[in-house]
Amino acid sequence: MRKKLESALSYLEGLKVDYADIRVHDITDEAYSTEDGRVQAMIDHRSRGYGIRVFLGGSMGFAASQDFEKMEQTVRDALAIARASRLAQKRPVKLASRPAAVDSYRTPVEIDPFSVSKKEKLELLLTADAEMRQAEPGLFKTAGTLDFRREEKIFADTEGSYITQEIYHTGGGIKAFAADGRDRQVRSYPNCFRGNFAAAGYEFINDMRLVENAAQAAREAAALLKAEECPSGRFDLVIGSSQMMLQIHESVGHAIELDRVLGYEAGYAGTSFLNPGMEGFQYGSEHVNIVADATVPGGLGTFGYDDEGVPAQRVPIITGGKFENFISCRNSAAVLGRLSSGAARADGWSRIPIVRMTNINLLPGSMELEELFAGIEYGFYLCTTKSWSIDDRRLNFQFACEIAHEIRDGRLTGKIYKNPIYTGITPEFWNSCDGVAGEKYWQMYGTHNCGKGEPQQLGRVAHGSSPARFREVKVGVADVK
Amino acid sequence: MWPMLSKERAYAIIDLVLEEAKGYETAVIVQGGNEALTRFANSEIHQNVQASSMDVTIAVTRGHKRSAVTTGLCTPEGLRRATGEALANLEFLPEGEKQPPLVGTPPEIETVSLDAELEREFTAENRARLVARTLATLEEGYKAFGTLAYNVNLLAVGNSRGIRRLAIQNSVNYTALVASAGGGTGYAEARSHRAGDLDLAGAFARAYEKARLNRDPAELEPGPYTVILEPLAVGNILAFLSLMGFSGKSVQDRAGFLTGKMGERVFSEKISITDDHTDPNTFTLPFDFEGSPRRKVTIIDKGVARELTYDLNTALKDGTETTGHALGISPMSGMTPPVPLHLVMAGGDQSLEEIIAGTGDGLLVTRFNYMNPVNPRAAQLTALTRDGLFRIRDGKIAGAVKNMRFTESMLHALNNVEAVSRERYRTGFFNFGCYYVPALKINDFHFTGKSG
Repeated sequence: MRKKLESALSYLEGLKVDYADIRVHDITDEAYSTEDGRVQAMIDHRSRGYGIRVFLGGSMGFAASQDFEKMEQTVRDALAIARASRLAQKRPVKLASRPAAVDSYRTPVEIDPFSVSKKEKLELLLTADAEMRQAEPGLFKTAGTLDFRREEKIFADTEGSYITQEIYHTGGGIKAFAADGRDRQVRSYPNCFRGNFAAAGYEFINDMRLVENAAQAAREAAALLKAEECPSGRFDLVIGSSQMMLQIHESVGHAIELDRVLGYEAGYAGTSFLNPGMEGFQYGSEHVNIVADATVPGGLGTFGYDDEGVPAQRVPIITGGKFENFISCRNSAAVLGRLSSGAARADGWSRIPIVRMTNINLLPGSMELEELFAGIEYGFYLCTTKSWSIDDRRLNFQFACEIAHEIRDGRLTGKIYKNPIYTGITPEFWNSCDGVAGEKYWQMYGTHNCGKGEPQQLGRVAHGSSPARFREVKVGVADVK
Repeated sequence: MWPMLSKERAYAIIDLVLEEAKGYETAVIVQGGNEALTRFANSEIHQNVQASSMDVTIAVTRGHKRSAVTTGLCTPEGLRRATGEALANLEFLPEGEKQPPLVGTPPEIETVSLDAELEREFTAENRARLVARTLATLEEGYKAFGTLAYNVNLLAVGNSRGIRRLAIQNSVNYTALVASAGGGTGYAEARSHRAGDLDLAGAFARAYEKARLNRDPAELEPGPYTVILEPLAVGNILAFLSLMGFSGKSVQDRAGFLTGKMGERVFSEKISITDDHTDPNTFTLPFDFEGSPRRKVTIIDKGVARELTYDLNTALKDGTETTGHALGISPMSGMTPPVPLHLVMAGGDQSLEEIIAGTGDGLLVTRFNYMNPVNPRAAQLTALTRDGLFRIRDGKIAGAVKNMRFTESMLHALNNVEAVSRERYRTGFFNFGCYYVPALKINDFHFTGKSG
């Protein structure tokens, strides 16, 4: 394969292209779904192909194919597309410099998830399902999922890079549904979006303890069906890590993508309220410290090199509440005369790399969870994402959670509410943060379905945080008459 | 130079797999695509891509067991390996739900709709020229963003009962967002599988005109307003109503807003919605991913919930027949619910212009951003307005308004429909599917927040 790729790149060098790269992706997926004690779907999936990106005279063209025998034709297609791009281009596309690399990387895994039998995986889900049913026989529906991916990637370019990577992603989760003639409620463990995901092996599933946590999910779903609607008004909130992941994703992660800032996504995913030159902006309170960290073990945004051959980095995004850096690819970084933050990824061989979150993590504070509660006279502890929406500049957000735990006089009362919704404006919200729990509460959640780009790509990203406290947040919409 | 997406190749794949799985109930789905997309931002092309792909799904059934493998390795060796994996899985799979019999009739459905003009006019070079031509109409202070995409799609289905299905179609999708230096934006789309229907310059001009109008926006307080939702905004809502509630699966799961309401009046009698792939303004796909003939489904008839869409499994559960809306399986989500892709909403008897002229005080909405269900059982949705929200006073557009968030039950909103426009537009259903929808005037539509 290496000879084939180098031959194609040599041909392109002979044509005096500015730059070219070839990525080969070979993806193997296993996906398991159970419902109500039965196997709903067990899907094996394989996707293998390559994409060639050519920069010629300052213009870009990209062509991708599954047919490795026709690589020469694909090269010619990419060249023709690059030439066509010139017809509607004002400025040459530039790429930020970075050293060429010849290297390899593999996700550290204790147990290769593809070495565990399919039978054992199904038995785990069916056992967890039975536990939910046993705990709450009246549940309307129970479900479970497991997902495993091995992605073998080769990156080669005209600057001399040749990088091979083998990335493993593992995920799983369960759901309990309670329903009656009027309502349906769900409780997910450990999170929604087919559970939680990590760059890890099967040990991640073992550590998740799906069976041991099944009964609680079942009981909470049943209780939610009988629970009152969460009140509307302004309340102090403690937001748990399983919801903080979405809060960080939508109101920080997308806002700091430099391609959005530069307008590259304006027609589709949107832009950002941030602009170049806003470094130092008071994004949040002093308690808010956020990094983009592609080096942290276990994140879905953890890798050796991004899909432009830029090494994984840990970039400070917000420090002491002040905005510091965007995340970028080689092209967007060059527009600002900066170096890439190593955040360019494609969701497979048929797509170009675009700016993608790595692991955008809120760093832990120093408080105990009970201390966060103790500072609240009346409020709620919200967990697990249920609904999400934000505007195209990443300012006005509205999220719903699966469950609200009541806090009164500094303690959880044991009472729960259903359908909690909260809404806010990004900088106001993050500036209302007056406490983040400590490291022992810190947890990372991965998601595999972040949509962006045209043609659309599904990114795999993660967000770590501890529970955090926010003051006077708008909860509910029933009071808007 | 595209690889051929041909009937011969698709059927050869199906034949090979069926031979390899002889003796089993086997269904094969072949999906192929040649997609080319030119993307522009800041009034110049910044991304320009093409990809060709083919994926094969092999589903084998034995008794109550069903195993599925999808592969992009479409060589004989790759297909044999994938078939072998699907068969091997049957050995340890526990018994599942009763499986419906495979589709057996009619033996053949084929439709090939390749518009030669589209193929000729939307090469990479021509796409770039078309983009350049529209960009040249912009005055200083305005920038444009968007896409021009040309796609060829193939879907072929075959099974061990001998059926063969084939659909090949090409199409063009165009999106244009124009932004002024002051930040005001306008947006429009054009899409069709017929070159004669496409008016890219017209769509660009609409987006440009909206961007011109969208300046010095006023800030309004949240609360109930009379709104006129343009077709793109109505299409946004319809997509989520469809996902939340129009399939038999959504009612079986007690997840959708039509649970327990079939046969009842749920919307204003001004609202009628069918799923109709034979409507010339949607696109032709006369069968589904199981090979069942796709039939027209009357989902809402003058406000009354009449029918839901089904695939074989969900129909079996409800003791009814499939409507031909199976969408197959996805490694991302397992079995995909049988959601309608060709929704057609009945038009009214007033033009959009007349509806605006008849409005004393209201808001005109171009489209929505990041819509999602808040409570699917209540058909409660939330989203923000985007790329043009305008105040209407005394029958005229009186000025721009800053974007606002609505959180509203569509069971409430679509019972407050005052007018439906005569003209209708084609809108997209995420990345596939095509709707044909009018504008709606709705009273007492609840905005619950404003953009910062």
